[in-house]
Amino acid sequence: MDTKTSKLAAPALAIAPAGFGRRLLVELTMRRIGIALAASVALTLLLTPIFITSFIELLGRTVFVGMTLLIAFTLAGVWHPSWLPRWVTQVLAVAFAAPLATLAIYVLKVDGDLPAFFHSEERVSGFFFLSISALSIGLVLALGALFRERDAQVRAQALMFQLEKETLQRQAADARLSVLQAQIEPHFLFNTLANVQSLIESGSPRAVPVFKSLIAYLRAAMPQLHQSAATLGNEEGLVRSYLELMLMRMPDRLEFSVDIADDLRSIRFPAMALLTLVENAVRHGIDPSEEGGRIEVTAHREAGTKGDTICVCVADTGIGMSETAVPGTGLSNLQQRLNAFYGDGAVMELSEQTPHGLRAELRFSEAG
Amino acid sequence: MEQVTALVADDEPLLRERLISILARVWPELVIVAEARNGREAVELFDQHAPQIVFLDVHMPGMNGIEAARCIGRQAQIVFVTAHENYAVEAFRQGAIDYVVKPFDEARLLDTVLRLRQRLSAASAIPVADGSIEAVLEKLAKEMREQRAPQKYLSWIKASVGAAVRLIPVAQIFYLRSDAKYTLVVWQGGEALIRRTIRELADELDPDKFAQIHRSTIVNLHFVKQVTHGSNETGDVHLTDRTETLPVSRSYLHLFRQM
Repeated sequence: MDTKTSKLAAPALAIAPAGFGRRLLVELTMRRIGIALAASVALTLLLTPIFITSFIELLGRTVFVGMTLLIAFTLAGVWHPSWLPRWVTQVLAVAFAAPLATLAIYVLKVDGDLPAFFHSEERVSGFFFLSISALSIGLVLALGALFRERDAQVRAQALMFQLEKETLQRQAADARLSVLQAQIEPHFLFNTLANVQSLIESGSPRAVPVFKSLIAYLRAAMPQLHQSAATLGNEEGLVRSYLELMLMRMPDRLEFSVDIADDLRSIRFPAMALLTLVENAVRHGIDPSEEGGRIEVTAHREAGTKGDTICVCVADTGIGMSETAVPGTGLSNLQQRLNAFYGDGAVMELSEQTPHGLRAELRFSEAG
Repeated sequence: MEQVTALVADDEPLLRERLISILARVWPELVIVAEARNGREAVELFDQHAPQIVFLDVHMPGMNGIEAARCIGRQAQIVFVTAHENYAVEAFRQGAIDYVVKPFDEARLLDTVLRLRQRLSAASAIPVADGSIEAVLEKLAKEMREQRAPQKYLSWIKASVGAAVRLIPVAQIFYLRSDAKYTLVVWQGGEALIRRTIRELADELDPDKFAQIHRSTIVNLHFVKQVTHGSNETGDVHLTDRTETLPVSRSYLHLFRQM
């Protein structure tokens, strides 16, 4: 049996084709070979005082048995019958290979003269000693290897999840980048331009301030990379421009107020974050409503035990947002942007207003 | 000659004014009998005044222009006014339906006026009812409804937290677990009970992001850190940032195989 297996294994190792050979190579790691060799040496050291055979010869025998067991274990792993679980096959292979490999050594020693072997009490007891120790060590190592394999599977699964998570995080980063891209909807732009055109044609004095608002809005909404210098004051200006434009378009349906505490105008603030909330209030609350509603933008400081909390709030009295309403990119990644900007303590909370409408609140500490 | 009457519907007053003032220049005899601010008003005022021509903005609150046109049907000549609704413009062109795109100029409106006058003088303006316009409008109305409710899965879950009704983004939910008549929602901002069953929620949440792992548990796959296999074909889900584990029952364990 031993010659057969080594013949089978050798060409496979040499050519390393797909299928069994490849899998055999993968399973037969240097680590496992090393462990089998170490076990063989240890066993030899243990048995040497009992055996009359020379140390080198005994080492040869244990290494031979050790390698045979390893190959049997590996082959059984690749080549197990479908009706038997892999690990059972592998343990059985080791259990059978231990006495057979030892027997092969002794049979070769007596040149195939079996009666001569059976009549030598020393050889028979040597056979039992060697095969039983090989069997027990082999089984312990086989079970250990199987356990490690299972452990590795669990870790591989954890890695898969990690990978998946990193993919999602990368997507989130992409989403953050998309904030930098233009967010001006053509429908908004053309309708606004049509309104401005109407004011200009009729010679209205409102044309000039409205035009100013449009320019301020367009400038802010253009893609830009350097937004690190953005402050709540800049954002207030942008939000006022946007609301002035919407007020021109729907004077009978929109009311608004913007109330930002003076000392908060200079704080760092993620660009477009407040505009995102106000646009959302218009899109989901005011625009679809026949009656329209009121939008209130406020920012104030709340004193707390662990320092001040800044509370920025956009509340509307529109029709509110449905559970299936798709948040725009700006809204869906606002929480992440806040965390990136102010740390983990920053939160965005959306809640319903009574009798109807939506309230969006950002809470963060300036220091974060 | 009989007086020609028209109705103008647009939710933006400046755009109504502008349309009316240009019409006054290019078609001084036309009488604007009513102005509407939304689709519902347009239909009501149409029933009241029965004008021969109706100018309808496509995008209006409540009932939109397309739906209003379907109510009015062939009782009037309809002209749609739209700002950059590409899909609508394409449909109008194919269905030979009159339209102008905002912002428009006087020349463009003059074309429309000439066509309207021609049509009104010919054969008392009763168009052939071949159903083609109705089909186009029905398709457009359906598209706009779908635009308003474009997805079937939840983006938010509304839950009472203290005195407020919070909108919890589903992306922040760790898991949902049934708790007698209620379902416990555990998300990054805390915990809340909602009056909905796990079974209902399983259908309403995006199956690419959420998985039912037990008769009483749905987990957000984004927060699954690892799954350990237990005895008797069950398992446990370990979550990112959470200490508790969630049991996976035998019939759902296949979800985590082959990973």
